[in-house]
Amino acid sequence: MRVGQRPRMRLDRRGVEAVPPAAMVAAEPAPRRRVVAEPAYLIFAVAEAEGGRLSRHERQVLGAARRLADPGGGAVVLVAPSLAEDAGAAGADRLLSLAAAERYDLEAATALLAAAAARYSPRHVLFAENEGGGDLARRLAARLGAPFAAGVEALSAREAVCPCRARRAELRLAPPFLLSLAPDRAAPHVGPAHEASPLDPPAAGAVRRGILTAAPLPVTAAEVPLAEAGLVVAAGNGVKDFAGFLRLCSALGATPGASRVVCDAGAMPRAAQVGASGTVLDALAYVAFGIAGAPQHLQGLGRVEHVAAVNTDIHAAMIARAELAIVQDARRVMPALLALLEAGG
Amino acid sequence: MRAVVLLSAGRHPLSARPAPVPVEMQAIALARGLGADVAGLHAGAPDLAVREALGQGMDRVTVLRIGEADDAVAALAAALAADPPDLVLAGNRGRGGEDSGLLPYLLAEALGWPIAANAVALAAAAEGLAVIQARARGARWRLVVAPPAVVTVHPAAPPALPFAYARARRGRIEEQEGRSAPLVPRVAEERPYRPRPRVIGVAGGGSAAERLRAATEVAGGGRVLVDPPPEEAARELLAWLRALGFSRSADE
Amino acid sequence: MGPAGAFVLLAWILLASVLVAGARLVLRWRRGRAARVDWWAGLVALPRRYLVDVHGVVARDPRAARMHALTAGGLLGSSGLLLLGVVPALRAGVVYWVLVATSFAVALAGSAMVARRRRPVRPAHLSAGGFLWLPVWVFLYAAGGLAGAGAIVLTASPGLGFAAVVLAAVGGAGLVSGLLTGPIRHALAGAVHLVAHPRPGRFAGRRESALLPLDLEAARLGVAVAEDFAWNRLVGFDACIQCGRCELACPAFAAGQRLNPKKLIQDLAAASLPPGARPAYEGSPHPGAPPPPLAAGPIVGAVLHPDTLWACTTCRACVAACPMFIEHVDAVVDLRRHASLEEGALPEKAAAVLEAIRHTDEPEGNPLAARGDFAAGLELPVLGAGESTDVLLWLGAGAFDLRYGRSLRALVTLLRRAGVAFAVLGAEERDCGDLARRLGDEVEFARLARANIAALNARRFARIVTADPHALHVLRNEYPDFGGCYTVVHHSALLESLLAEGRLTPERRLAGRIVYHDPCYLARYNGETGAPRRLLDRIAPERVEMARHGLSAMCCGGGGGAPVSDVEAVRRIPDLRMAQAREVGAQTLAVACPGCTAMLEGVPEPRPPVRDLAELVLEAVGEG
Repeated sequence: MRVGQRPRMRLDRRGVEAVPPAAMVAAEPAPRRRVVAEPAYLIFAVAEAEGGRLSRHERQVLGAARRLADPGGGAVVLVAPSLAEDAGAAGADRLLSLAAAERYDLEAATALLAAAAARYSPRHVLFAENEGGGDLARRLAARLGAPFAAGVEALSAREAVCPCRARRAELRLAPPFLLSLAPDRAAPHVGPAHEASPLDPPAAGAVRRGILTAAPLPVTAAEVPLAEAGLVVAAGNGVKDFAGFLRLCSALGATPGASRVVCDAGAMPRAAQVGASGTVLDALAYVAFGIAGAPQHLQGLGRVEHVAAVNTDIHAAMIARAELAIVQDARRVMPALLALLEAGG
Repeated sequence: MRAVVLLSAGRHPLSARPAPVPVEMQAIALARGLGADVAGLHAGAPDLAVREALGQGMDRVTVLRIGEADDAVAALAAALAADPPDLVLAGNRGRGGEDSGLLPYLLAEALGWPIAANAVALAAAAEGLAVIQARARGARWRLVVAPPAVVTVHPAAPPALPFAYARARRGRIEEQEGRSAPLVPRVAEERPYRPRPRVIGVAGGGSAAERLRAATEVAGGGRVLVDPPPEEAARELLAWLRALGFSRSADE
Repeated sequence: MGPAGAFVLLAWILLASVLVAGARLVLRWRRGRAARVDWWAGLVALPRRYLVDVHGVVARDPRAARMHALTAGGLLGSSGLLLLGVVPALRAGVVYWVLVATSFAVALAGSAMVARRRRPVRPAHLSAGGFLWLPVWVFLYAAGGLAGAGAIVLTASPGLGFAAVVLAAVGGAGLVSGLLTGPIRHALAGAVHLVAHPRPGRFAGRRESALLPLDLEAARLGVAVAEDFAWNRLVGFDACIQCGRCELACPAFAAGQRLNPKKLIQDLAAASLPPGARPAYEGSPHPGAPPPPLAAGPIVGAVLHPDTLWACTTCRACVAACPMFIEHVDAVVDLRRHASLEEGALPEKAAAVLEAIRHTDEPEGNPLAARGDFAAGLELPVLGAGESTDVLLWLGAGAFDLRYGRSLRALVTLLRRAGVAFAVLGAEERDCGDLARRLGDEVEFARLARANIAALNARRFARIVTADPHALHVLRNEYPDFGGCYTVVHHSALLESLLAEGRLTPERRLAGRIVYHDPCYLARYNGETGAPRRLLDRIAPERVEMARHGLSAMCCGGGGGAPVSDVEAVRRIPDLRMAQAREVGAQTLAVACPGCTAMLEGVPEPRPPVRDLAELVLEAVGEG
């Protein structure tokens, strides 16, 4: 592939032109790490980095932080409970560990963040607008009494735009001290990795404790309500081995769904039904095995952006709707995928 | 137990008509599920959306009358401090105002109470109040907070009680003068919402070339593989899922 | 006193018992709400309602009609004659006793037919219990009467005559004892019901099917306990003879949902009695429902499972099948009104739909301005306020459905082809309110009706055409109560007339066997069964009928908010209906309603394709 050619513009479902990630400077990873030795200012990007890895959304936060840092020679500081191994590639110049705030101790994390902000005086602190990041951002905003823009959908060094009034209006303002970024609104950093050198963590201040205990509850993907699931894998008429299907879902960490026909036949519970008469999904991705894609079923995919389909019929509506369409018998692909996962991919 | 549910002047995203904020209605149902004595509290002008909340499980609502330029947090904090309940419930985001979800945090800070966010279930616990919290991608945490506390409610909480016209007709709204404190106006331009493109199909790892390919080839492009061997189909599917950030167990 | 005198005395004693029982029933009914009844008109119409309207329905089963004529005729005739015997001159004549004996003989024959109905095996839709004793009492009364009258005619010994009187007395006592809670109360209640019927517009061949508006200022909305029903509704419940015709017709019952309309009426009748005094019910239960608790209190909960309420598709098959003209659907909607408006006790999806209607005027929360999106490229003219057109095309909720958009595109194309001047309301068309009203939300229905009527009255048009029979019914029959009176035409009727006038010319005839499925709201609610068939006969040579068609067609399962209520079922109603179409070898199933299209197309393949009449006409006329 030739490098440097103008990336192809695409249309997404909403009929709005999509902009592919900007700042694609090299096709191959640069051998050296980029170093911002004397930053003019700091941008904090706060991440949970669950399991030591940055999520897709958190990479986008780092990407947005880079866009705030780069024009003025600033540096991006990744602030996370544990240090993410891929932080440099995601665009972090510095790492600031909030190790004391592990196990998601929100009140301790708020105190540490406040102390870090006091010590390093970042220009902006960015969060991911999701359940965890959004919570922490607002705690800090309330603690510091600092200006905060919630769920930012467009961000540059000059302005931040966030929706308001039931998403019928938007606020356009100079980026405030604290910002939380809505998912899929900024490109992650691509290009040479950054230095990701550690910074001294601040001394923890006093923590006001009101949350006495906090612990995760064991929830398997199969228990997640369909409407809330991030990844839904669904079976249709073309699937016969439902035990195998459920094993595959569990191996993928996916919430199982089904077409109406399958639920009517009793092979899957009614709560698993995807479609206009079942659940309308809000998942990030959807994989359809052996589903032809009746209009009512496709209506259930309303907000799903990423759809893959495995079906024997190349003319099936599901194949047309999918961004990854595999014309093959689901009964053959499912065991192959399960074998691949069990073999460690 | 006494619970106060904060009600805001919600607007429907499609019609812009007054409509209760769904998470706030779910908050009413959660509070009733605790067996709490539930009352509503609203700061601002009396609003149809608040009246409608009376039809969804609320018998009485207190409206703290304040001006448009007044700070709702100050009025709410003053009223709650004067007669503190055990629990203040709010939606995790409003729908019709600034919708930043910040107000419950400012209120908790002003009252000096703890706050737990994104509740999907509540239960009395030995040490206080157990809050089941929704986390990203369907995960759940169990927190215990010491009352009095502020708890925000997540959309994944159980459904609200359905609206009953006759209940709304019977419910009482009491108006009081709220504490007036001017809000520091923020420098921002408000304009009609513009849908913006989302960044789509960006791979999370691999080389820049792979990421470029991922960004331009896979995303929304409708790649069709006709009759691939099942193993190849499986590899393609898995690569696609990984590019979206799923099924990462294999690279750990 | 001889046997003759004893006979006459028995008749008068029985009459007195009937009057006492009647008075007690009246006291029971008076606990219901007040109702406006035109007694005089009802009394004048009674013979006709009984002999023509009721008999017309009963006679759909000729054997039942004969049975009823013999039994009722014999019992009423003989008892009436005996009462006249109080005139000494009359009971002295032989001719009189011959007449009495004859009428008792008729009743005796009737009792044999009543007994035969449940022999050798009782059909599932018929009740047991008191109904097994009914022929016995009739037999004893009639046999005693016949023997006694015979003895008097043949001047046999008085002893024989007295023995016969005793026999008749035993039978008569058995019958009279059932007047309060037994089967025979239908005779008394039925007579009052026919006089004081809540819908006089149901008789003499008319079909009043619009729901009646609810007074939204009332202290209590809808029906929670039996006393909340209007008194003449309570009479209607007592008029049920448990013939089970509604049970046979009900699609929800066939699908194994918790609704048996026959049991529903019995439950509602029982609800007006204290738990201990409720008669035993020995017919088919509500499928899958736990045995009813003997509790006092609100009907839903104490007597009925909530599913029973929400399983009803409001298809009116039960109402149309009922020989006593009982109003099952009105009762269901009255109960739903209370559940919806007072309790908010709604199925989850139904609550969501009503909420969307409240805030967006549309059940799915679609933007009203997007209603015409299905017609992209066809450029629908929008009728502005003050403008005029010939046909106002009412698009309905189906316009938002991806699949149904195809049917509407076909209709729009055909209107263009035929040169019909038409326009749509655009964003001024709100949901017609059918769904809200059937779900019991009269508040939202009234609001939508007023808003739509205001939009319609600001424009001039000759008629409204719609492809949605639910919208048709609401606009045609239910908006007049809110001040909107319009000529409303179903697209099947319009297309048929365009074909008949030659404004549309079929280029070819459709191959294969076509079966037409009648939408309930077009056929039973509006009596329109002819135009769709005439239309099909013009374009398709091979049209066959399902066993249940026209006014007795089976519902697709899509009415009355049943799809959003999503009540537990053993089978799916559309699957049952599709099986009926397959039975007659359907190669295409023609439909004329967006609801039917969605429900029947939801039946898993292989099945015949489901196509709207407009699509079929367009195919016959040619796309070009």
